[in-house]
Amino acid sequence: MDDYMLGFLAGLAAVLVVAAIVKLLIRKKPMSVTEKAEYLSKRRARMLPMLAIIFLSQQAAFFSAVNSPAPHSAYAVKISAWLVLSIVILAALATKGFWLEPKEVRDLIDDENTRANRNEAMRWGFLFSMGGAIAVYALTLFDLSISARDAVHIVMTIGIPAALIRWGILERRAHRDG
Amino acid sequence: MAERLANRLKDRRTELGLTQAELAERVGVTRKTVNTVENGVFTPSATLAIKLAAALELSVEQLFWIER
Repeated sequence: MDDYMLGFLAGLAAVLVVAAIVKLLIRKKPMSVTEKAEYLSKRRARMLPMLAIIFLSQQAAFFSAVNSPAPHSAYAVKISAWLVLSIVILAALATKGFWLEPKEVRDLIDDENTRANRNEAMRWGFLFSMGGAIAVYALTLFDLSISARDAVHIVMTIGIPAALIRWGILERRAHRDG
Repeated sequence: MAERLANRLKDRRTELGLTQAELAERVGVTRKTVNTVENGVFTPSATLAIKLAAALELSVEQLFWIER
């Protein structure tokens, strides 16, 4: 099997395992639709910054591997797994998320305030990505060669965690009793 | 001068003996959204403002007003 495909499948399997564990934990508690939405919303607020940290730590592994003589297969697996995680995070940012939950729970989780927070997070992600792209572009003006793949990686490394952290902050603030 | 949307959501909700979660359930949002509207952190859409006013048996103008 191709190394990239192996990494892709490994990443996908990891995502499915995490989703199944979350689903199993939730199933243990009998809850109404609103209670479940509240519970999941709070859980998401706690998870977002952690997800950003996991994503960033994966980037650290990638950038340290770029200049090291690591075997090609290990690099390919890492890249593919990273790609899966990036796609899953972007999908979670762009959609209601919680894909394994019933529609009424998903609709309630994605209520007006959540949509506003998500849009604000996406705005931050976009601005940070563009800032990163400008920085990379500026660096190339000083004869620093960066491959297209690394440039995209850097831009995503800046943009995605920025959106995740911003969303996490807004959600936690919204949950805080005042 | 900055304008902000003030409200008497908390007072009215307490008058009716409702919790944030109960009001949220009536309106079809999460408790978080009711909490942020109450605290003035989030400005609701016209749709949500009308739903909140209806759930609290008030007109929108009685529930929300602009503070300068």
